[in-house]
Amino acid sequence: MADTSKTVLMMGNPNVGKSALFNRLTGGDAVVSNYPGTTVDYTKGVLIESGQEYEVIDAPGTYSLEARDAAEGVAVRLISENPDATVLIVLDATRVERGLYLALEVIERGCPVIIALNMIDAARDRQIAVDARMLQKILGAPVVPTSATGGEGIRNLAETIRKAQKADIANVRARADGRFDEPARSGGCAECGRCGGC
Amino acid sequence: MKRLSELEYGESGFIREIRASQYELNRLGIRMKKQVKMSTRQPIKGPVVVVVDDMEVAMGLDTAEGVVIETEGHEGS
Amino acid sequence: MALPVQERWDLVDAIARKTVTTGTHRQTLGDVLGDLTVRPLTGISVAVAVLYAFWSIFSSFAGALVTDGFMVKAFDNYWLPWLQEVWPDPASIHYFLFVGDPLAENCFEAFGMLTSGLFVSIGVVLPAVLIFYLMMTVLEDSGYLPRLAVLMDTVFHRIGLHGYAIVPAILGLGCNVPAVTATRVLETRKQRFIMMSLLAIFIPCGAQIGVMLEVIPETVGWVMLYLVIGFGIFGFVLDRIIPGSNPEILIDVPPYHWPLWDNVAKKLMNRTKSFLKDAVPFVLFGVLIVNVLYLAGIIGALADLLEPLFVIWFGVPKETVGPLVAAFLRKDLAVAQLSAIAMTPYQMITSVVLVSIYFPCVATFVVMLREGWKELAAAVAVLVATVFIYGGLIHAVGILMGVA
Ligand SMILES: Nc1nc2c(ncn2[C@@H]2O[C@H](COP(=O)(O)OP(=O)(O)OP(=O)(O)O)[C@@H](O)[C@H]2O)c(=O)[nH]1
Ligand SMILES: [Mg+2]
Repeated sequence: MADTSKTVLMMGNPNVGKSALFNRLTGGDAVVSNYPGTTVDYTKGVLIESGQEYEVIDAPGTYSLEARDAAEGVAVRLISENPDATVLIVLDATRVERGLYLALEVIERGCPVIIALNMIDAARDRQIAVDARMLQKILGAPVVPTSATGGEGIRNLAETIRKAQKADIANVRARADGRFDEPARSGGCAECGRCGGC
Repeated sequence: MKRLSELEYGESGFIREIRASQYELNRLGIRMKKQVKMSTRQPIKGPVVVVVDDMEVAMGLDTAEGVVIETEGHEGS
Repeated sequence: MALPVQERWDLVDAIARKTVTTGTHRQTLGDVLGDLTVRPLTGISVAVAVLYAFWSIFSSFAGALVTDGFMVKAFDNYWLPWLQEVWPDPASIHYFLFVGDPLAENCFEAFGMLTSGLFVSIGVVLPAVLIFYLMMTVLEDSGYLPRLAVLMDTVFHRIGLHGYAIVPAILGLGCNVPAVTATRVLETRKQRFIMMSLLAIFIPCGAQIGVMLEVIPETVGWVMLYLVIGFGIFGFVLDRIIPGSNPEILIDVPPYHWPLWDNVAKKLMNRTKSFLKDAVPFVLFGVLIVNVLYLAGIIGALADLLEPLFVIWFGVPKETVGPLVAAFLRKDLAVAQLSAIAMTPYQMITSVVLVSIYFPCVATFVVMLREGWKELAAAVAVLVATVFIYGGLIHAVGILMGVA
């Protein structure tokens, strides 16, 4: 099964639009509501992209990998039960900082990750600018701005899933401090070509 | 210095100390040195709603009592 | 490699500094509304107005407009007489099972699978849950629920919960099944147990409320009042006797936004589909099973056996035993069945409250089992005690008021 279908696990803070994104990617029926804690169980769906089949899992939102309630517990269990999964980290572009904590925790576990910078429309409306290229450079994994409600960036996201990258946290830290030289090449950027030549 | 629970409507300040539930509060963006603004305080020991980084967070009164704030005065609300 | 917590936060800050720039944020209409709806004074008035609007739209649309205006006429004037005429052999068992009483003048009394079963599920409950889900979706999608949670926190804190318990509570008014799973947003086992028990006992589902509005429009307010009071009393008691902690509310309050039409339509479609797929067959088979039990004499025997408890302790006629059996399958069906029994208005209130609190319907029972059998067993124990105590209490109140 492993070579026919790959697992993509969606992780992110509550209410960042994971279920909305999941529905866009898989045509699924996950419930989308404007309050944290809408999804309390997981939903699976299928995405077929450039001939590759992905099993996408929509998880409950969580603020960290240390569960505080049963819904977060489901999310944490999912990530330990699917050690080979690609993790699609969903960030809310209007509150990137908050979501980065979880993103780093996932990266530290050594999962291949791809980041959706969702709610990009809301961020624009609120005059919040997020430098997706820079974020991609620092994290060493693809970052795709999306709007799950508007549809922006969804195609791009689906096409980019296969470029998910494992990143080394020491390199991430070096790059966050402005040291982009060596570690950046060996650790993260896999010439995905999306960052416009890092 | 004031406790977060004692801020008036619209009053804001910077977080200097978090005495309890630090981990839980951090996860919601309530962290050291962050600016917070009081949005509402519910009567009869009800919860408070504060604004951090332009986002609203609701927390119980006891939790808010554990957060120490250096105030900087009102912002016309 | 895993970083220590503080170092991870430092790294978060470093990354955020390099990637995020915030411009000046203009206050939007949503922000102003956001403020108004959580301020104590304005917020509580808004909450009352919202809930009142919710209720009056629900009752007028579901009760008066659709059911009385169209469904009742269609079913009682055309469907029932037609079936009674074309179905062969009124004295037969199959007539009794599918059409019911050959002399019935309306679809509540007939109690056959194709008469009452279809009427209750399609004629009464479907319009009710449709309008209910429409309004609930708007509440969910606008971002109002977390604000309501803040306003309700003080009250819920007294009963071992915190304000966010409003989420499973409101979902439960639609259907208890997703609400049981939604208790996962609460932090401790104590909170989840209290909420699950209260849900299963005191929160009537949309289908049941729909039927109540149809058959007892004058007294439905009393029933709801008894349920709310019971919710408070038993929550308070459970909080004292259940060990465990009740942490305070700590939640994100997302900004308001307009419900997106696509999403509203989609949720409405999915919920309606699952109602047609899961609930309607249950109602139909419920009628069938109850009729078979009647024919086999089981309900009669049970009624004789339980007569002292029902008549003396609860103060309701022994015929209400039948609906209580049906209530295990579907509460809406049970209330419909009650309406055909001759009772005083107060007995009607009591028996409808009993039907609501006496046992979760089988679907709810199954999801509770999935969340943990120990909790379920304990919840059932709480429930038995509650039905007995509260049922007697309501009877006593009736005696004191001189109406029972
Ligand atoms: N403006 C905007 N709103 C969005 C976007 N994506 C999702 N939303 C809205 O954000 C809210 C939350 O969406 P969900 O998909 O339910 O979020 P979630 O991450 O699954 O939340 P939980 O299940 O609670 O963890 C909904 O009201 C969506 O309509 C987006 O890209 N832009
Ligand atoms: Mg979700």
